[in-house]
Amino acid sequence: MTTQPVGYLCLVLHCHLPFVRHPEHESFLEENWLYEAITDTYVPLLRVMNGLVRDGVDFRLTATLSPPLISMLCDPLLVSRYERHVNRMIELASKEVDRTRHQPEFQRLATMYLERFIQTRHVFAQEYGRDLVAAFAHLQDQGKLEIITCGATHGFLPLLNVAPGTVRAQLRAAVAHYEETFGRPPHGIWLPECGYYPGLDEVLRDAGLQFFFTESHGLLYAEPRPRYGVHAPVFCPTGVAAFARDLESSKQVWSAEEGYPGDPAYRDYYRDVGWDLDYNYIQPYIHVDGERINTGVKYYRITGKTEHKQVYDRAWALERAADHASNFMFNRERQVEWLSPAMDRPPIVVAPYDAELFGHWWYEGPEWLDYLFRKLHYDQQVVKPITPAEYLERHEINQVCTPCGSSWGHKGYHEVWLNGGNDWIYRHLHAAARRMEELAQRFPRAEGLTRRALTQAGRELLLAQSSDWAFIMKTGTMVEYAVKRTRDHLARFTRLYEQILSRRVDAGFLKDLEEKDSLFPNLDYRHFS
Amino acid sequence: MTSELPDRYGLTELVVMVVDPFHLFAYWEVTPESLRQALDSLGAEMDGARAVIRMYDVSLIHFDGTNAHHTFDIDIGLEARGWYVPVWTAEKSYCADLGFVARTGRFHAITRSNVIHTPRAGASHLTEERWLRVRFVRRRKPDPARPLEFVPAPLVMGRLSPEELRALRERLAQEGALAAARFSAGTLPTSPEKGPR
Repeated sequence: MTTQPVGYLCLVLHCHLPFVRHPEHESFLEENWLYEAITDTYVPLLRVMNGLVRDGVDFRLTATLSPPLISMLCDPLLVSRYERHVNRMIELASKEVDRTRHQPEFQRLATMYLERFIQTRHVFAQEYGRDLVAAFAHLQDQGKLEIITCGATHGFLPLLNVAPGTVRAQLRAAVAHYEETFGRPPHGIWLPECGYYPGLDEVLRDAGLQFFFTESHGLLYAEPRPRYGVHAPVFCPTGVAAFARDLESSKQVWSAEEGYPGDPAYRDYYRDVGWDLDYNYIQPYIHVDGERINTGVKYYRITGKTEHKQVYDRAWALERAADHASNFMFNRERQVEWLSPAMDRPPIVVAPYDAELFGHWWYEGPEWLDYLFRKLHYDQQVVKPITPAEYLERHEINQVCTPCGSSWGHKGYHEVWLNGGNDWIYRHLHAAARRMEELAQRFPRAEGLTRRALTQAGRELLLAQSSDWAFIMKTGTMVEYAVKRTRDHLARFTRLYEQILSRRVDAGFLKDLEEKDSLFPNLDYRHFS
Repeated sequence: MTSELPDRYGLTELVVMVVDPFHLFAYWEVTPESLRQALDSLGAEMDGARAVIRMYDVSLIHFDGTNAHHTFDIDIGLEARGWYVPVWTAEKSYCADLGFVARTGRFHAITRSNVIHTPRAGASHLTEERWLRVRFVRRRKPDPARPLEFVPAPLVMGRLSPEELRALRERLAQEGALAAARFSAGTLPTSPEKGPR
């Protein structure tokens, strides 16, 4: 029998990117979001996890793979473009090794990048056979990783709920996509943007989902007030479990000011050779339009709140990552020791993060995670990593509460996704959602071209609903692209809607859309009825 | 090229959405036909009439149009088609009418909205506990209709006296409230460079 630890740590990484795929362009800037995340985050995380397995380190991690991300990672066009991208990175790094031959402290780093990019290409193509989803699934089969689902296209459900059928469709399509991908239903879900409203748990239950996560005040403000705060899940009245984010552990990693990622030893994200080097030299590696962008080759450390940055010292940065992992573990040990006397079971500390923080923004994040799991395994017995599924198997009795409507956005409710910068989208999103419901009800058994048009209308609606677009409109950069995507998908939906109703589907137009907006090949349009 | 969206959907509707416990957003569309009906109905009273959103607090009632706990009007410009509405109390249910108030005070409603519920803005005072046992199911979907089994609240078999336990819980609750207040100032980091965090 294994001894019961004093407390549990549930680390959750939310892996999501909006569906960005532009076959109509030879090269498309926003597709880089995926390519950068593969190089900086997904491949490093997989390597960390596989290294832990190889070394016999028992660990548990929970990760969302959002349906758009899965679709992009499995898409042959994007996969081949990723390889083109990483080849270009290798070419740039090789040139950099040569250019810095008289500056050893820079050349060391250029060599590091060159080696890493070559290794990334090798791991991606050879070890994982160009299929990162299968690599994640393999870790899930080994019992180390719990892959959860998300809204079909990361729609912010509290604001889509004006047309409740569309919330059901977001969840049904996501669950069906997960089943197709992994051969079994998902146990739980990461609600897009942690957006919950009372009653959503009924839709989750009907979709077969057994747990979800909320922001801290989702449980702290739940009714009745939960006995154990955020340190134990509650059951909603439907029996679906809600886990809530622990603030203390989140902040240590999240916070730009106080968090680990702001340490002066860590690599500075913003200084990049894409901006620093001579235009003619760097031109092949920046945007095809000639606009300077980040390339991923960065030589400086954060240093401090100063324009003057010092050269990155990899060994020192890794030492800091190890220190920070020790510090995180120490704090969790003290935290659960302090909490546990007040509880009838070990407290659980839920620490969710956007996956892209690890590696992309915080370059040393994957190594920090590696050190953390190794230390948890070898150095102590107080805190044990756990998945929500394991927790619910061990602790079948939980308090019944209704969580409070909430999100993890600024101010904790819906303002990020509903404000003066993006409120115009909702009249269209709601109208389209109602129209899709109308179509699904009017054509319950469509076949042939009509069925394809109905399915594509469903895809266009789902794509328009991504919370990413409203988020980008709020944050104020790349707004044009987010506006264009929202308008394009809504306009395509509207045109299909009109064609279906008038029974005059334009086969050429439809085929073009099927090729462009190609996620969910097996989408069932009846999810919308 | 960016696509054009329909300017109007040819329907008369008012939709209310929750921004946070203290702010709502309403949008509307009024067909020329509905507008004409409203003008006809008000007739001579239309002179000096104001376009308003009439808000109803319908918390915990079956609203029949007359029994709201509280009603207030927000003056709007009908052509604005969207409006932010501040409210004063969290955790309420609201619905609204879009219409005209004549100088005589007579109200003519054009359309009624959906009902929305604003979230809590603080910890609940209810501490009454119910506990459930739910069997977790691996690798398949549980039956949505499965019965839920209520069980007695578990006891904390701790090393602490009831007073110490109460004090510790109180401290936990306070910490939670403080932490949540701090959080609601926002910590989700946003990237200055690109959309996804």
